[in-house]
Order: sequence, then C-alpha cells, then structure tokens
Amino acid sequence: MEKKKIIGLGLVFLVMVGTGTALAGGGREAPAAPVSTLRVAVPTFPNSLDASIAAERNAQNVAWQMFDSLVWANDQNIVEPALAERWDISDDGTVYTFHLRRGVTFHNGEPFNADAVVYSWERGTQPHIEWSDRWGRAKSVEAVDEYTVRITTEEPDPLLLGVMAQHWNIIPPRYTQEVGDDGFGQAPVGTGPFEFVEWVREGRIVMRANPNYWREGLPRVDQVIFRPIPESSTRMAAIQTGEVDIVNRLTVEQAEALEGVPGVNVVTYPIDRVFYIAFNNLTTGVDQPTEDARVRRAMNYAVDRQAIIDSLFGGRAQLATGLMTESNLGYDHSIDPYPYDPARARRLLADAGYPDGFEIGFAAPAGAYTNFEQVAEAIQGYLADVGIRTSLDIMESGRYWDLEAEKALPPLFGDSWSERSGESLPRLLGALGGWDASFSAWSDPTIDDYLARIGVTVDQDERAQLYRELHQFMYDDPPFIYLYVPETFEATRDNVVDYMPRAAEDYFLMFTYIR
Amino acid sequence: MQRYLLSRLIQSVVLMIGVLVLVFFIVRLTGDPARLMMPRDASPENIQAFREAMGFDAPLHVQFFNYMRGALTGDFGRSLHYRAPAMSLVVERIPATLELALAALFFALVVSIPLGIIGGTRPGSIWDTLCRGIGLIGQTVPNFWLALMLIVFFSVELRWFPTFGRDGLRSLVLPAIALGFFPLGKFTRLVRASVLEIRNEDYIRTAYSKGLLEQHILTRHIFRNVAITLVSIVGVQFGYMLGGSIYIESIFAWPGIGRMVNEAVQARDFPLVQAIAVFTAGFVVLLNLLTDIAYAVIDPRIRYEN
Repeated sequence: MEKKKIIGLGLVFLVMVGTGTALAGGGREAPAAPVSTLRVAVPTFPNSLDASIAAERNAQNVAWQMFDSLVWANDQNIVEPALAERWDISDDGTVYTFHLRRGVTFHNGEPFNADAVVYSWERGTQPHIEWSDRWGRAKSVEAVDEYTVRITTEEPDPLLLGVMAQHWNIIPPRYTQEVGDDGFGQAPVGTGPFEFVEWVREGRIVMRANPNYWREGLPRVDQVIFRPIPESSTRMAAIQTGEVDIVNRLTVEQAEALEGVPGVNVVTYPIDRVFYIAFNNLTTGVDQPTEDARVRRAMNYAVDRQAIIDSLFGGRAQLATGLMTESNLGYDHSIDPYPYDPARARRLLADAGYPDGFEIGFAAPAGAYTNFEQVAEAIQGYLADVGIRTSLDIMESGRYWDLEAEKALPPLFGDSWSERSGESLPRLLGALGGWDASFSAWSDPTIDDYLARIGVTVDQDERAQLYRELHQFMYDDPPFIYLYVPETFEATRDNVVDYMPRAAEDYFLMFTYIR
Repeated sequence: MQRYLLSRLIQSVVLMIGVLVLVFFIVRLTGDPARLMMPRDASPENIQAFREAMGFDAPLHVQFFNYMRGALTGDFGRSLHYRAPAMSLVVERIPATLELALAALFFALVVSIPLGIIGGTRPGSIWDTLCRGIGLIGQTVPNFWLALMLIVFFSVELRWFPTFGRDGLRSLVLPAIALGFFPLGKFTRLVRASVLEIRNEDYIRTAYSKGLLEQHILTRHIFRNVAITLVSIVGVQFGYMLGGSIYIESIFAWPGIGRMVNEAVQARDFPLVQAIAVFTAGFVVLLNLLTDIAYAVIDPRIRYEN
C-alpha cells in the first residue's frame, strides 16, 4: 500500500517532467535564415505593434517598420514627402492641404486614400490612444476629395509636420474596424516597407518585405526578425555568437569589450537626451538661495562635469551647454560649456551674500539612469567643496517621478529629458513650463515668452534664431546645472550595411541590408 | 485523513483571501500609474483625463470592491501596458515558466540525490568532500552570475547552446542549470545530512544487527525516510523557483512569468502586477497543499496525529 503510493507520487512527478519536456519540444525552432534576413535584438517587449499605442522607443521602432505617415523626417531631420506627395500651407499657417500619393495600397490590399487619413486621425485622437495628444495637434482633418486632405490647426504649429512624421501612422479603416484596436496591435496592417507575418509572444516578431512598397527598390532585405532580449550582457553575447545582427543599449564597458571582436562593429552616437540638476522656483525652492541667478551660475562652475564623464562614462558623453543638444534646431555652437572653476563659484556665492555657502535639499532617482546615483554623489561632493551642503536623497524612481510631478521634490533634483522631434521645444516646455507642465518646477516670464513665440513661428530660420537667443539666456540665467549629453552604444555584425540609428535612438530598416 | 485535508484546504482559502487584500494595497503604495504611463510632456489635464478613463480617480474602497468582485470571478482587469486581460497574459506564460522550473528541479534532483547519498554513506571520503563542496557552492553562488558565466563559457566560447530565447530543448539547458543550481546545493546538503542522521537511528542499528544486507537497509530503511524530508523541501523550493526565476528569465530572455513581473512593475501595470502576484501566491499555496498531502501519504504519523 505504502509502496504503491510512493510509486504513484513518483509517476505524477515523471508526468510533470514529461509534460515540461514535451512543451519544450513543442517550442519553435528558428527558421533557417536566408541571406537577407535581418535579426534585431530589442531590449524590451513591445506592448503593442500599433505605433499609436506602442508605449516606448523600442516598441515604436519595431512598429514603425510597418507604417508610413503623410510625411517623413530624413536623417537631417528635414521633412520630406511620404504618403503625401506635396502640401500647401495657408498664409496664416493654420491650414495644410496635402496631396496624397496615388496607387498605394495597405498590406491587406485596402486602398490608401483620404478616408484612411481621416479615419486614422479620428481614431488617434481618442483618449485611450497612447499618443493621442500628438494626433490632437490638428484641430480637424477632412477629406477634400479622394486624394486631397485638409488639416487645420488652432494656431500656427511649427512642429506639426515633425510630429506627424513621428507619430501619425496611417492605418486601414476596414481592417482596423474589423479586428478592433487590440487585434490591430497584435497583427497590424500599414503601408510601410515591411508587412507583419507573426508575433510569437515575447519570442520573436517576424516581418517580410512589402513587395509593392511605393519607395522603389526598398526595403533591401527580405525579412526582419525582432528578438526581445532584456539583459544587456545577453545582447552582447548574442551579437558575438551571431545569433542577432543588431543590438542596442549596451553599456560603455560592453562596447569597449566588443571593440576588436571579429565580426562585430561597435556603433556609438550622442543621443538627444540632456541630463541636469533642476532648480525649483515654484514650491520647495521658493525663498531659497537658488532663486539668485548668481548662485545657480556658481553651482554650474562648482561641478567638474568633465571629471564625472571621464570617471563614470569612460569619457563617452558630451558636456551639456543648455537644455538643447547639437542635433536640435537652433543649437548655438558658439556657447561653451561652463568650465570647472571653484574659485569663481566661491566669488559668485560671496557676491550673492553666501560667502560661507548654505544648506539645501537634493534628490536623485535610483536605478533610472546609468550611474546616475554616483553622478549625484559626485555633485554633492563638488558642491560641498564650495560650501554648499546638500542632503542627498536617492529614492526609488517611481516614487521620485510622482513627487517630481507633484512638484514636491527638494529644491535641487536630478533628471534627464529625451526628445525625438529633433527640436527642443517639447522638452523646454515640459521642463520649464511652470505650473502648466507636469514635470516642471521652474517658471520664468522671459523663457515663457520665448517658448510662446517659438511655438507659433513657422519659419524655420526665425525659429532657429529664437532658439539661439533662448540658449544664451538660459546659459546666463541657468534654471539647471547642465550635466551631459550621453552617448549610446550599439553593435552590428560586420556584414550589416546602412544601419543608421538617429539621435532619438530610432531607425528605419528599409535601407539596411546584409552584405 | 479527511479532516486533515479539510483543515489544510480551509487554511489555504483564508490565506488566498489575505493575499488578495495585501496585493491590492501594496501595489497602490507604489504611486500613480497615470503619470508614468502618459508621455512626459503631457499636460496635467491630459493626465487627469487618463486617470478618470482608467478608473484610478475612484475612491480606494470602490476600487477595492471592484477588484475583489472581479478577482473572485477570475477577472483581474485589463493590463494597462499590454492592453489585454491581465490573467490571460499570465496564463499565456505559464508553460514557459513551468517548463523551466520543472527542468531545473529535475536537474537538481538527479544530481543531488545520488551525490547526497554517497556523501552521507561515506562520510569523510573524497566523495563526501565533493558532495559538501557542491552543496556549499550551490547555495552561495548567485544564480544571475552563474547564468552569465554559463552564457560566456557554453554559448560564446564553445557555441554549444544558444545564448537566449526559448527555441527547443537545447535552449532549455543553460537556464535550467542556472536556476537549478541553488536547489541542487540545498538538496545535496539535505540528503547528505538526513542519510547521516538516519544511519545513527536505533532501527538502522537493529537492522544491521539482524544481519540485513547493506543494499536492503539503504533502500528499505534509509531512502524512504530521506524521501519524507525531501518531499517537504522540494515543494517549497519549487515555489521559490517560480519567483526566483525573475533574474534567470530576464537573462536568458525566457518568455515566462518572472520576466513579465519586471516589466509589469516598471510600467506600474496595476492589474498585471495583481494578477501575477495572486497567481504566484496561489501556486505556492497549492504546492504547499500538495506537499502536505504527499507528506501525509508517505508518513502515516502525520495523518493519524491530526
């Protein structure tokens, strides 16, 4: 009796193991790779393949290979025709008339026309759409005839075309209604260079070349397979073994270790993200010494940021001169970064009435950015050298951002801001918009005025000039301790040609091929 | 026996209700998902609109009531991040997690039982030293480090196994070893210690003095008693392995529940975190229940005492 039960239990266990093994055996084997398959590792798992719902950069990168917008921003961030062949803008800058490309069809055969554009916009502006505010920049979108669309904005919107290029994925009305938003996110249909084949949940996303793509001769590979690999060490191993052709988001140490590895090319470029220590003049920073511009300048002089970059990032970052990066419109190259000059910092502090420094609260998020905790600690040390004693509070990033949005962080707080539109306006509005912006703790009427003017100046040169003036103003009266613009590290197999990631870490694989 | 089972069952149900309540409140201590989920430059008005659309503006007790009502019918709401029913996302990933945990457990048992028995029956021998060494290493080496070393050596250098993914049996080997190494150490030490202990029991001495064969004593008297100890620890360990596979699943890009935990927490995906927590807790409770039953089946003292 006893023996039987033990045997019984043993059998149950064997069945369990057997089931596990059977399940393993049922896993899919990687298809034999034809020469023109591009395998791309992505560090996160797309929440959706619908570009309007894809929540973050990596998901967006995957999704956008299957879509087009009316316009496209090229590598120089200049807007070019895409699904629209040309467009006219009314004299007051609020009415855009787009003349659509004829003969384009969606991957499922549905025709691309004005109705598809109107439908895409109507759906995009619904509140449950992740990027609904991007679609909402247009007040109305109407079909004039089958191949003409009229788009109206409330006020002149210089960023409209750029935002359209980045966020307005045109979708087929019939298919989308048929499968619903959820179904569409699982198996999307667009007009883009690649069409959806399959999505093995968290295992692989497979796309094949769209044989009828309207851009002649593109794409240049037959198939693209995205593989989610969350751990950067594993991505590094996978590019070494050749299991994937492209990996991104490596650490500087990993990139250095990959230099010289046969078959692997390291790709590095500065990204459109600025790290900073923000000041607060709305809540916790009111009546603090940091309301005085001399104090804020002193703090910029007090921190040896080059030493921080050298020791924590292997020298692979650029000094920030403002809240703009070199790839942004109107970046003023004549502005040099604040030098490390503690003597000058002390003089400025003395001028401002704080010869012995002062005490102030300081906070930074934990685990949110590479080495940022150490950056904050180094800054604390540098500030102490000129007499500014900070109580540094490093907190869990989720809670940190809650407090940041409530404007309840200490008067000094570290963060960073990335931007993909190629212009710094959204970042400037977000970080300096005062009470109107969720993550701003600073308000300055001069800055407000510049931002308001930039926001309605459609002429690119005029806008660039305004940016330059604002750049200088924010240098002289800094609302931040400007830190650095980081580089990002990626790697490809050495037979990958024309993989061209941009400063927002986005890329279009239609140009990429395997040699 | 029936009374024993019934009392265990009631305990499990009470425990699960406790888990449901705890999970709801702990998840809400982590902050506001609306802000995190909206673009950074979204206006406060847009964020408030999103909050209302998602029901996060309702009073806590209303949210709690809706949650409990849903939970009792198996409905944990929709994942905010993945935009799909939360529990079905979890269920989708069960096979991968279960497969990995079972393979790891299998690896740990197959190695540890013989090793522990050899060590326990020949204390002081070279085999015993090996056994104790492996026991110690298994319990002290962090599994994420071991996982990376396995990848570097067996994938990058030797190219024997893939570095990541779930593509057939070959891809299961490294993650299973990495995940199974800790229980391997634990089981080896446990088996060795029980064998040593049981060998000193009076009934073993009696068996020897009766002139029974060594073989017979090992199988009939020692193994069976080792099994009792082992069953209780294997059940608990299996539960730990489901939770402990967060690192291993992330490193090997293994599409299981552990890896989803990370994503769900980062995205403050309340419904998904809740579904995962309740599911994992439920699984551990179920395992404990099964362990208790198995225990009672193997060891008559337990069921009669109750």
